[in-house]
Amino acid sequence: MASFLRHIASDRVRQWLPLATLILLIVIVGTLEPVFLQPATLLDLAGDTAVLFILASGVTFVIMLGGIDLSLQSMASLSSVIVALTLPRLGYAAFPAAIAAGALAGLLAGLAHTRLRIPSFIATLAMGGVLASTALVSSGERSITLGADDRGYLGWITGTLAGIPNVVIIGLVVLVVAHILQAHTRFGRYSAAIGAGEPATYASGVKVNRQKVIAFVLSGGFAALAGIILTGRLASGSPTLAAEMLLPAIAAVVVGGTAITGGVGSIWRTLVGALIISVVRIGMTFLGVNIFAQNIVFGAVLVLAVAITIDRSKIPIVK
Amino acid sequence: MSAASPLDAPDAPPKRTRRLRLAAWAPVIVLMVLCAIIAVVNPNFLTFGNFVRITQTAAIPLVLGIGATFIILMGSIDLSVEGILTCSAVVLSMLVLNGANSNDLGILGALIVLAIGGLIGLVNGLIHVRLRIPSFMTTLGTWFIGVGVANALLGGMAIRITDPVIRGLAVERFLGFPWGVWIAALALIVAVVIQNHTRFGRYLFAIGGGEDLAVLSGIPVARVRITAFALAGVFYALGGILVAAQLGLGNAQIGTGRLFTTVTAVVVGGTSLMGGEGGVLRTLVGVLIVVVLSNGMVLMGVPSSVQIGVQGLMIIAAVASSIDRSKLRVVK
Repeated sequence: MASFLRHIASDRVRQWLPLATLILLIVIVGTLEPVFLQPATLLDLAGDTAVLFILASGVTFVIMLGGIDLSLQSMASLSSVIVALTLPRLGYAAFPAAIAAGALAGLLAGLAHTRLRIPSFIATLAMGGVLASTALVSSGERSITLGADDRGYLGWITGTLAGIPNVVIIGLVVLVVAHILQAHTRFGRYSAAIGAGEPATYASGVKVNRQKVIAFVLSGGFAALAGIILTGRLASGSPTLAAEMLLPAIAAVVVGGTAITGGVGSIWRTLVGALIISVVRIGMTFLGVNIFAQNIVFGAVLVLAVAITIDRSKIPIVK
Repeated sequence: MSAASPLDAPDAPPKRTRRLRLAAWAPVIVLMVLCAIIAVVNPNFLTFGNFVRITQTAAIPLVLGIGATFIILMGSIDLSVEGILTCSAVVLSMLVLNGANSNDLGILGALIVLAIGGLIGLVNGLIHVRLRIPSFMTTLGTWFIGVGVANALLGGMAIRITDPVIRGLAVERFLGFPWGVWIAALALIVAVVIQNHTRFGRYLFAIGGGEDLAVLSGIPVARVRITAFALAGVFYALGGILVAAQLGLGNAQIGTGRLFTTVTAVVVGGTSLMGGEGGVLRTLVGVLIVVVLSNGMVLMGVPSSVQIGVQGLMIIAAVASSIDRSKLRVVK
């Protein structure tokens, strides 16, 4: 088993494994259920993947640095509550307000992580609790359905442009923005460097803490955006709206080939990972697997993907 | 760590030792201050009835916290608390006398559930150690696998438990306290013995204090780690039995929020996330802090949804104040 893992973990194979898996999955599901390959179904798939992809690309920034964000599902839910509560009064301004709240939460989590030197998984677990609590209290612990006039503000999410759902276009815009941030900015290069070797990066004069905080701010902002899209698609906000999204989002990043040890990865890989998760989900739905029981598969896939992608030389002591 | 202290003592600056000793007692002081404040605001807090209620609420977090303490002592983390707990509660509800099928295994059913919990924990340990995957990722996976299995078994339904023995854990009382409280107390004693009077217990501290040294001293680190995860699984399964007994049913949402309370209790009690420092008795204090605080908030009329947020802030405060920053350069 271990030697088999080592074999598929060798760099050359590893790089193309996610894409090969995706194509294989599409072929399998397409053979079993030919409807799947029709353009309409594929567009639906793309639309369903958009929310997951946005969440996953936010957390990709954090994972690239070797950290983790366990608060993203709470942030997305909170953002849906903020939009649902403020849309009647603020109109379109409700959307930037929700994103600003996400960025603020990310800033606080990042500061708790860097200034107080709390490991990121515990800082974001705690921040997730604070956010969940805020969402529960401000919504009165129930879901808020948007009225008919408020739904007019959601056209940019629910509409279509030349036959393509707007959600897909939003997803593509996020892809471009996130890719530029990751691959063509100083922040992107620094975060890859921090993930690859934090002490060396620190020693070369990079402001490590600042890059980390930026990553958490981005993760929070992206999670809030994902919450907004969810609100638009369901026409309601709820404090538990995104509760089931944490595992698929992290699984998407890891399955795509971004190592949780940091340093290796890209937004493109996260896109491939998110598509894999979506195709697997649709395949299981075709096979009649209970939607909640699907977590068994995602949990197993997550562990397996980590086993393949992780860089063990970087962690002499596995804790 | 106890072996190293006599050697270190002459070099260590005295101010630091005093600070450390004070830090060890901080959770107890916090607990006493908390009790005093709540008692002043609401005298009902000090009645025997409320004391029983507090112990009853504390029983389940205590059992879960004991399991998690063993893991955190090694510097690892276990996020699969809810997965194992939910899975155990659901399987228990299907094995004992219940409203859905004709099984009636009684106590044997409970023992099977404990074994299942240990087995899932063992899988955690094996994946973590043999495949060399960090524990938070391994257990994040098993968390969702456990909840997924519970969902697959029940498909969103709930099974009512009618077995008088299991129900009796929450309903029947002995010397004024429900049986569940006595079981939790027994679990605590067992855990203290394991931690302080067995080789395994001392190895836990050694691994948490410095794994590289532990390996060099010939400690079977891999075996100890795997055993610790299996042992934690048994405690989570016991927690699952107590939860199912208390609610009188098993369903797939039964564990929601338990991980959070567990981590809060362990960390607030003063067990260091870096490992090597702490213990199950500190977890008892941590559980009491969390439970007394929430009991006090209920008595003062604060909505229960605020409590998750308060616990989140407590985690940050407790971890921030306990981490020995001089030891760390890289925090991930």
